[in-house]
Amino acid sequence: MQESKAPWSDRVYSSLLRLFPFDFRQDYESEMEEVFREQRLQAASTKTGLLRLWWETISGVFRTAPAEHLSILGQDTRYALRTLRKNPGYAMVAVFTLALGIGASSAIVSVVAAVLLRPLPYQDDAQLVVLHQSASKATQNEVLFSVPEIQDYRAQTSAFSSLVEYHSMRFTLYSRDEAARVRAGVVSPGFFGMFGVKPILGRDLNEGDDQPGAPAVLLLSYEYWKQHCTGDPNIVGRVFQMNDRVHTVVGVLPPVPQYPDENDVYMPTSACPFRGMPALQADRNGHMMSLFARLKEGRTPEQASADLRVVAARLEEHYPKFYPAQLGFTAGAGLLRNELTTHARITLWVLLAASACLLLIACANVANLTLARMSARERELTVRTALGAGKGRLLRQLATESLMIGLAAAVLGVFLASQSLHLLAAFTASLTSRAREIHMDSTVLLVALAVAVGTSMVFGSISALHSRDDIAGGMKDGAPHSTAGRSRHRTRSLLVVCQIAFSMVLLIGAGLLLRSLLKLQQVDPGFVPNRVLAVKMDLNWSKYPRPEQRRELGRRVLEAIQSLPGILSAALSSSYPLDRDNVIGEGNDEFRIEGQPLRGGLPRTGVVRAATVDYFKTLGIRLLEGRSFDPSDSDESALVAVINQSMARHYWSNESAIGHRISFDNGQKWNRIVGVVADVHEFGPQKPVGDEAYLAYAQYPTLSTLLIRADGAPTLLANQVRRAIRNVDVQTAIASVRTMEEARQDAVSSPRVLANLLAIFAALALVIAAAGVGGMLALAVNQRWHEIGIRIALGAQPNTVVRMIVRQGMTLVVSGLAVGVLAASALTRLMRSLLFEVTPFDPATFAAVALTLAGVALTACYLPARRALDVDPLQALRGE
Amino acid sequence: MNPEKDTESLALTPAMFQVLLALGDEEKHGYAILKDVEEQTNGDVRLSTGTLYAIIKRLVIEGAIKECRNRPPADEDDQRRRYYRLTPAGRDLAVAEAERMERLVATAREKHLLRRLRTA
Repeated sequence: MQESKAPWSDRVYSSLLRLFPFDFRQDYESEMEEVFREQRLQAASTKTGLLRLWWETISGVFRTAPAEHLSILGQDTRYALRTLRKNPGYAMVAVFTLALGIGASSAIVSVVAAVLLRPLPYQDDAQLVVLHQSASKATQNEVLFSVPEIQDYRAQTSAFSSLVEYHSMRFTLYSRDEAARVRAGVVSPGFFGMFGVKPILGRDLNEGDDQPGAPAVLLLSYEYWKQHCTGDPNIVGRVFQMNDRVHTVVGVLPPVPQYPDENDVYMPTSACPFRGMPALQADRNGHMMSLFARLKEGRTPEQASADLRVVAARLEEHYPKFYPAQLGFTAGAGLLRNELTTHARITLWVLLAASACLLLIACANVANLTLARMSARERELTVRTALGAGKGRLLRQLATESLMIGLAAAVLGVFLASQSLHLLAAFTASLTSRAREIHMDSTVLLVALAVAVGTSMVFGSISALHSRDDIAGGMKDGAPHSTAGRSRHRTRSLLVVCQIAFSMVLLIGAGLLLRSLLKLQQVDPGFVPNRVLAVKMDLNWSKYPRPEQRRELGRRVLEAIQSLPGILSAALSSSYPLDRDNVIGEGNDEFRIEGQPLRGGLPRTGVVRAATVDYFKTLGIRLLEGRSFDPSDSDESALVAVINQSMARHYWSNESAIGHRISFDNGQKWNRIVGVVADVHEFGPQKPVGDEAYLAYAQYPTLSTLLIRADGAPTLLANQVRRAIRNVDVQTAIASVRTMEEARQDAVSSPRVLANLLAIFAALALVIAAAGVGGMLALAVNQRWHEIGIRIALGAQPNTVVRMIVRQGMTLVVSGLAVGVLAASALTRLMRSLLFEVTPFDPATFAAVALTLAGVALTACYLPARRALDVDPLQALRGE
Repeated sequence: MNPEKDTESLALTPAMFQVLLALGDEEKHGYAILKDVEEQTNGDVRLSTGTLYAIIKRLVIEGAIKECRNRPPADEDDQRRRYYRLTPAGRDLAVAEAERMERLVATAREKHLLRRLRTA
């Protein structure tokens, strides 16, 4: 242990020398130590001499060591560029393969970071919670809040420092001569203060604004102010007419993402014509508000939930009429951050896993390519060793080459990511409102860089590890026969197995999603969507307060539409199937059936829709029994209803439903069932069909949707329809126009995009893996050239030779498939909630994917094996 | 092409010139070079080991100096030491640098920026 006896100062100096590059140390380390020792002995005579020596030595090391590293890096980079230029095929394939993996993974990582990992852009977002009520036994997962409930929770809980309400409505805003449809957020005065958002112009809503009878005021969102008020700095004080009242702008919000909805304007609760109604304020059943709260310092969402459950239990006890025990009424709170992303989480994790798979496959492929190249470069490396390049130096050189490829791939990958990020963001928007926070920023660049450096380390070190042993032996021996050659071959085989296994996982994931998508698309929606246009209208309710006025408006609109050319039929209704605004409701309208008591005291719920005579004809909904509405159903005739097949089966399984009566207002009025129509998937093909009742528009004139069946392309009619409606009433705004075909496509758009994304990943993986197997066999054929030649010379049949090589490749493929099946069985269960009528272990998908992959791999093996037949035995023997 | 050899022409720093000067009369080992540089500059230039060996490495790569195989007699030798000497190219380099400086000094004198050389 001589080293331990060296004086501490020499040991410190030796450790300082570690800052120099490996090669430099190899050349000069011991000499430098010796010189330092002599310097130290000489300087030891004075204290200042020693101090000075240390100062000079340390500063010298820190000055020269980085320069040495830089100079080596410069040389390595120049040399790597020269080498790669000489081998453009390898460089391009490696860069492109890695860029695909880096691009996909960095784009998805930035989406995951923006949506799932980053805090909400509000003050102390870990304290912000969403409150919810549910009636679990009545299958109502989400019950909105009524005004009396809000007051109870405010008074009886102690976990919150503030508790605010929110709901969103559409109103028409009139300024000068313009009517604009706006989405208005109706909020408590402390709403923005709670989120830590301060207006950039004017003031926030205050308690005074919320008093009954207070002058109506508006806060504008930043976007609305910019787009519709041209960013007017003097906007505060401007007045708008809305809901027949004068509204004064008091402020403008900063450009923050708005949750839960992107509203145009905000108003205090007193200004909302619905929320302001005294009847609603007293109605415990008037569930229409959402509640948000900020937790007090130190309180957790769990404690808050416990608090809320106590209040809910108390409500159940005090108001059994509103909360019968059978409802299973309860309340709780969850972090806003999590609630906003509930639907996106699994999808995004699946995508992240898929992109990681793709990246690993790309990495394995490049490592394989690099190893193949190492065989070709063995002599070059050996010669360089012989010329005096140290082993460390060579490894460093190889690492630099890997890094160059990695960085080039990162540049291309970032480009690919930037091109695809807006598509990903659009897709994510269908899952969470946080998608607005996704944009190209430094995260993408950092992720791409980190992934590039990480992957080049991985594939670089795999190849470097295998070159380490070669360097000594390479000169005297041909590469294929050396020990290192064999170990390299083993590694390459292992990499091929990994590629096949990862591809298998990706293909199975994509296969399951595609199969699930097919099943979704095969679901009969219950209506015929072709050539049907759905137009959502927003009328100025204050202009049509009475039913007969709305009936008249409806009659005039229908008349105007029916007089247009190219229209087969048209109908009005209160909503339409797959209506985006309607999906939130999910059929919570209550009804009673004459002669059938409430089961367990629970109200019966379903979809209730008012429709004109031609509604079923226009949408192509089949009439199964009885009659549809006809012109005789008027406000003066007896009330009627048409129900869907599910409801008929549900309540009158052994008899006809026709003639029975149902009530939609707690038994005050009764509607006679006159017809039964086919079931319609109102909320999307994946949602089960519930009970549904249709009322005659003439008896319940709630106008909101115009449905038109055209004899040609319905979109061509859009402008004519807009004009016709404007001619009838210029104040009736058109909120949206879309075809039912679009509505149907939109309903499966997020499963479709996810399936397509995974399919693209899987296809890339398949190509890369096939190229991997093929490439490896091609190299093996090259290396076994002599052996194959001798075999043929000794009389081996061409078929035997081809079979031998194909078998070599397929052994790896089959091992890869087996590993892949195991990994996929473990991973696909995470996708269960994304699948429709397909189990995560669907044998058909597993079998089809295994066969496809095996087939592609077999072709990839056969092509290089065929080349073995070109071996000229004479030439091979001569070589021996 | 040898990647270890940098092809850029050598720009001589004052410290590198001092090392060439130190080796001008005879071959020396690292410590001797350090001492020599210190003496020939009256202690104004003190090279650290890091700086010295970075310079030695550079000069070796450039072919200005080389390690010499002749070692001193065994009783004076230390196996850990390596001895360096100027190559003809290194000598040319040092001469060229010295001449360049001489010309600079002459110019400075002509411009009366420096007093004339006093004769002893």
